[in-house]
Amino acid sequence: MTVLILTSEEDVTADMVVVHLNATGVPVVRLDPADLTGGVALSGEFVHGAFRGHLSAAGRLVSIGGLRSVWMRRPGTPAARAAAPSAWLAEEAGQALYGMLRGCDARWMNHPDAARRARYKPWQLRLAQRCGLPVPATLITTFPQAAREFAARYPDLVVKPVSGAHPQDPPRAVPTSRVAPDADFSAVAFGPTLLQRRVAKRADIRLTAVGERLLAARKATGAEAEVDVRFAESATPWRPVEVAPRVAEAVRAYLRDAELAYGAFDFVEDADGTWWFLECNQSGQFGFVEVDTGQPIARTIAEWLARPVAGQEAHVNGVSAKAT
Amino acid sequence: MQPFALNYARPAAELEVTAPYVYDSGLQLNVLRDGRIAASDHGLLRELGTTTSTAGSKTHFDD
Repeated sequence: MTVLILTSEEDVTADMVVVHLNATGVPVVRLDPADLTGGVALSGEFVHGAFRGHLSAAGRLVSIGGLRSVWMRRPGTPAARAAAPSAWLAEEAGQALYGMLRGCDARWMNHPDAARRARYKPWQLRLAQRCGLPVPATLITTFPQAAREFAARYPDLVVKPVSGAHPQDPPRAVPTSRVAPDADFSAVAFGPTLLQRRVAKRADIRLTAVGERLLAARKATGAEAEVDVRFAESATPWRPVEVAPRVAEAVRAYLRDAELAYGAFDFVEDADGTWWFLECNQSGQFGFVEVDTGQPIARTIAEWLARPVAGQEAHVNGVSAKAT
Repeated sequence: MQPFALNYARPAAELEVTAPYVYDSGLQLNVLRDGRIAASDHGLLRELGTTTSTAGSKTHFDD
């Protein structure tokens, strides 16, 4: 049975996993939905009470019934590179591809429905609270007065996008940033604003969860370091770190409730050693952590993807083959 | 009328590095010019930062 990887060609992080799957002889089909209907093709029929579907890419043909797992890594917008792309064609291609894949018995990392829900940061914060993870005091508001009152209670604040998305017209990045003590909050009225108590950190933590396995890494920082680790210029490498049992229990509860097979959790560690939850990226990068720490994240993902689907070892359509 | 958070926006970083590998659809992997698998060269990946968590991506915000 085959592992289907949906991602872009330039995704060298996915390569790290493909290498492990190849080494163990697990069949892989890798494709980018953006290449429908050029280099990628699909077909499925619903006849006599049964479904038979196939995907092909770069000369490989795979039965949808023969998939053991689907890895939603970095898929492009369906049919984005078609000869005549359009929003309508993207919707058609997305409905056809993901509609058929949703009907198969393969295991997902992560299922599209769970992934979509898991991207909502307010939902993440609430779930983290429910699971017992410490969450810094946070306000999301369009009321300037609410922002002023929150700043009076928590004078040291950061601001970050609610969605995690960044404006593209023109292209800009909105990093997590410290709010000036004399900030004018009037502009809060023009867009939902996420304000959060700044945690004086001594380290950033990236905890990568793959199934039940938790691999955490720590990067030591100064208390006045750049708030957003993605923008910090630091020669300090990530180092492996143990996960406290109560944190592990809470993270596993989070994954279970979120129905996620993979999650990249960002925490900051304060002077007391407490890990404060910032967010969980359901498709967060992991290559940079593995490169620094040597932790076997790619191998663990490959092992998870390679697990057989229960009761389907002898599936008649379970063999991928070269198209002729 | 600009939302508060955009007061803290920065120009998106341009990726000036041209990756020294190309995708091989037969292998389903990116390959260096000398034929080696790019993902196996951790030193190169660290240097290029292509596996790094970023901000400002046009298409992905799960970093």
